[in-house]
Amino acid sequence: MNSIFLPYKMGDLWEVKQKDPEAIILAGGTGLLVFLREKGLHPHTIVGLENLWELKQIEMQNGEIRIGAMVTHQQLLESPVIQAQLPGLHQAVTVLGYPPIRHMGTIGGNICTASPAGDTLPSLYVLNAVAELRTPTASRLLPIQDLIKGPGQNVLGRDEILYQIRIPVPSPSAVSFYFKVGQRKALAISVCSLASMLQVAEDEQTIVDCRFAWGSVGPTIMRFPGLEKNLIGEKLSLNKLREFGQTAASMVSPITDIRGSAEYRRMLVSNLPSKMLQTL
Amino acid sequence: MTGPLTPIGTSLKRTDGPSKIRGLEKYAADYYPANFLWADVKRSDHPHALIKGIDLSHVRGLPGVLAVLTHEDIKGANRIGVPEMDQPVLADQKVCYKGDPVVLVLAENKAVMQEALHKIEIDYEVLPAVFDPEDALAEGAPVLHENRSGKNLLIGGAIEHGNGMEAFQVCDAIVEAEFDLPYQEHAYLETEAGIACVDDEGVLEITASTQTPWRDRNELAYALGLPVDSIRVIAPYLGGGFGGKDGITVQGLLGLAALHSNGRPVKMWTSREESFLASTKRHPGRVHYRVGCKEDGTLHAVSCRIVLDTGAYASLGGPVLALAMEHAAGAYRIPHALVEGFCVYTNNPVSGAFRGFGAPQVLAGLEQIIDMLADKIRMDRLEFRLKNVVSRGDETGCGVWMSNSTGIIPCLEKVKEHPFWVQQEEWVNQAGPFKQRGVGIAAGLQGTGYGPMVADIANAKIELLSDGHFRIYSGVADMGQGNNPTNVQIAGEVLGQAADYFELLQPDTACSLPSGSSSASRTTYTFGNALKTAATILKERILTRACNMGLGIYAEDLLLSSGKVFHLTSGREIPLANIAASMSPEERISSYAYTAPVAKHPDSAGSAIRAAGFPHRVFAFACHLARVEIDALTGEVEVCDYLAVTDAGRVLNPQIYEQQVQGGAVQGMGYALWEDFRVENGEVLTRNLASYILPTSMDVPDILSLPVETVEETGPFGMKGLGEIVINLPLPAIANGVAWALGRHIFTSPLTAERILLTMEKRQAE
Ligand SMILES: Cc1cc2nc3c(=O)[nH]c(=O)nc-3n(C[C@H](O)[C@H](O)[C@H](O)COP(=O)(O)OP(=O)(O)OC[C@H]3O[C@@H](n4cnc5c(N)ncnc54)[C@H](O)[C@@H]3O)c2cc1C
Repeated sequence: MNSIFLPYKMGDLWEVKQKDPEAIILAGGTGLLVFLREKGLHPHTIVGLENLWELKQIEMQNGEIRIGAMVTHQQLLESPVIQAQLPGLHQAVTVLGYPPIRHMGTIGGNICTASPAGDTLPSLYVLNAVAELRTPTASRLLPIQDLIKGPGQNVLGRDEILYQIRIPVPSPSAVSFYFKVGQRKALAISVCSLASMLQVAEDEQTIVDCRFAWGSVGPTIMRFPGLEKNLIGEKLSLNKLREFGQTAASMVSPITDIRGSAEYRRMLVSNLPSKMLQTL
Repeated sequence: MTGPLTPIGTSLKRTDGPSKIRGLEKYAADYYPANFLWADVKRSDHPHALIKGIDLSHVRGLPGVLAVLTHEDIKGANRIGVPEMDQPVLADQKVCYKGDPVVLVLAENKAVMQEALHKIEIDYEVLPAVFDPEDALAEGAPVLHENRSGKNLLIGGAIEHGNGMEAFQVCDAIVEAEFDLPYQEHAYLETEAGIACVDDEGVLEITASTQTPWRDRNELAYALGLPVDSIRVIAPYLGGGFGGKDGITVQGLLGLAALHSNGRPVKMWTSREESFLASTKRHPGRVHYRVGCKEDGTLHAVSCRIVLDTGAYASLGGPVLALAMEHAAGAYRIPHALVEGFCVYTNNPVSGAFRGFGAPQVLAGLEQIIDMLADKIRMDRLEFRLKNVVSRGDETGCGVWMSNSTGIIPCLEKVKEHPFWVQQEEWVNQAGPFKQRGVGIAAGLQGTGYGPMVADIANAKIELLSDGHFRIYSGVADMGQGNNPTNVQIAGEVLGQAADYFELLQPDTACSLPSGSSSASRTTYTFGNALKTAATILKERILTRACNMGLGIYAEDLLLSSGKVFHLTSGREIPLANIAASMSPEERISSYAYTAPVAKHPDSAGSAIRAAGFPHRVFAFACHLARVEIDALTGEVEVCDYLAVTDAGRVLNPQIYEQQVQGGAVQGMGYALWEDFRVENGEVLTRNLASYILPTSMDVPDILSLPVETVEETGPFGMKGLGEIVINLPLPAIANGVAWALGRHIFTSPLTAERILLTMEKRQAE
């Protein structure tokens, strides 16, 4: 028989974890339950975070937006803070799954799943998000890219959970995007995605800052800070974006899977930056 | 309280709606009889192998395992299938595809079941396998079924009309192309399911999700070695079928299980993965076309070579091929034609019936070729079609005679005058940055019924109950399309009753009468005709009896209406319950057998193709239009607007009609753009709904449905079959729109974003 715990207090959570260090964390379950069914696993202890209200908050503090690990995608979608301050992340959750999944699935689950196709991740990468991890006794801060190690792999310790995500509020003049290419418009795992943030000077042309992060084309989210730097000071144009995309495409080695070939993915890496001009 | 009458032509609300919405209507998968056992099978891991031995020693003693059965436990022929009985219930000598059932287990619960299935050991001698139908036809290919003289050719033949190939010599323009058509998975919501038990009288009773209760009963008798009258099959509403339940799915296994369950009921319900693995699919195929015309745009010659992969067993591969061949020249007058067809066994999963039944594959090719030919002679694509389509009295290119209602010209004309067509150039030119647009059309037809060599009969039965209500014994299963609710409307029209005066029984071989399958666009057409007459006979009986009871002298002075009979001149009335009381139980039941008309002309096809269903007599027609937009950066296609103009005769119920058009068009869009059931070396790669991409509501536009209401004189109230014609045209209409947007045709479908972007990239490189 397996046991399922749904603690109301952090203390109770740690107690369960102490008794059974193998206890599996359940957030919304939209990733975990699929995984368990697929592998035919029947874990002994499952501990759900759904009653821990402190994990379900979205707050602005000290120029930072703090998103609790148990904040659902639907909450992000409806949050005025996210809508106003983090439009790229907001766009990402509009194309994540479909309504039932958005109501159950959480940002913490999306991050811990560490899938290169995770839809919130590219935006979190370009936002320079920082994850706060907690154990019964300590907490630590890790940049998002240091939390995620590879496909399905994060650096969480045995008795550690993802507590919240902290995002520095971006400059008000920055524009951000999220483009997702899936096999259909809803309920689709991304074949390639791109989050970007762009700041142009007052001439509305010269690039002052830019960040790009691609999903589903490598073991984790792919960012090329060196390439980004090359764009700074340049004039925003289709040619520049094309050239930039092509260079990025030459630096990724995507895989071929049931959803798309490596060749197609590479073309998308190259083309997606130009999409900004479709939207701007 | 009496509801209003809902005459033919109005939208009687679906009588099955409330119970389905409230979850009260039981589908086969919803039955959990007391004390039931689960049944499930161990399937083959190899696409082609001899079974050398089966080791059940680790399984037989397992607590919770009630029985473990192999082919040796089957008393009958252990073969199912129609018309070809070649598929074992449990594999005996060999397995022919990865997924062939070998051992049946009965267990108390699913955990034990998993363990048991895991512990069964089957010793195989792997045989060389063949996965491409052309390879399978080649000399020296591994043979699947040794007893067949044609080796891996299940059925082949040709239809010749006019001078065949010679006619190309006098054509002014010719185009040629080969199309690759993918599998399509039915992906119904309710996977294969049912329960079975043997009752006190020894009758094997099976409740299953099936389109074919009557045929199932006969097949089961043969396969399991039982007399037909000791088998009862009940077909509740299905949670979808689309052809995938046109024949036995789990019924053979369920029957076998119930015969070995010590009298306990058994239940089987496939997982999505198992359903994907073991259910039939739409035949993948290769269709090679050559079409020629005169410079004035008169079509002159067509040749078509069709190769369909039927997989490990025949299923309905023969009839699917025959229908594909019959529809290969579309709805066009083409004096010269040669259509060759081959339906071939391979070690792939089994293909069988799927809405459209061969027509979607050929029309996908033909309707693109027609566009290419129109472009070549610089003729408007719609005018080109208008110039060449059939009218009543004409023959199609395959020599099929249009003897009945033929509304393809009005379908085309409705599209021609629609703003989507009129403003095509403007719309295309308004594409935004990195977007490319195109407008595509396609036209076609779909035969109704089984063809000349299989009796297409429905036996309707209707009863006046003692309380004055009526009971309809539906003889044809309802897989969601609403044919049985439509029975209420048909009988209500004849008997002058509101819908709430009817009880509707779903098919049950113990009380309804054999009426064939729910398939072939024949369901409402054939059963509706039988029911209409059965109801008319009952009406006459009721009115005559009312005269006997002193209500009037002549039946024509009487009016039958909800719950009563009226005398028009005196205003007197008798409740139907009183009339029922004066009738014997036999009198209160009326039944009628209706046989659908067939076409005896032509016999241009060989006997095998005729036997498989060529030709048809009654056809539905349609013209579809798609406005598509391609994202030049990603290859994604958006169907922005969609117009479906259909001639399926008179519309009996606008709401159900609309539902059929919408559902069919969406399923056709799935076939066109997303649904790519992938099989490699006999192995299914798209194992479930996560990787097999069905369209969601976000992916399809509103669909505008315009009916062209011809009157089909042989159909009940002028209707003819609608269920299939709607799926035949989305692929070519969309493909033609995409071709406009890209400046070239893509001959392999579905037209996934990847395929399109790669094509665009190649084009740029050229
Ligand atoms: C039908 C369907 C569609 C989907 N579509 C998308 C999509 O479009 N885009 C997308 O990105 N994803 C999609 N997913 C995947 C999934 O829904 C998301 O990744 C979701 O965000 C996971 O969140 P969850 O709360 O359900 O996580 P869970 O399933 O509960 O957990 C996932 C994993 O993270 C661990 N975990 C969760 N929270 C914590 C925590 N706070 N601390 C430590 N470990 C934790 C769990 O132990 C588990 O291993 C889809 C899933 C399904 C079933």
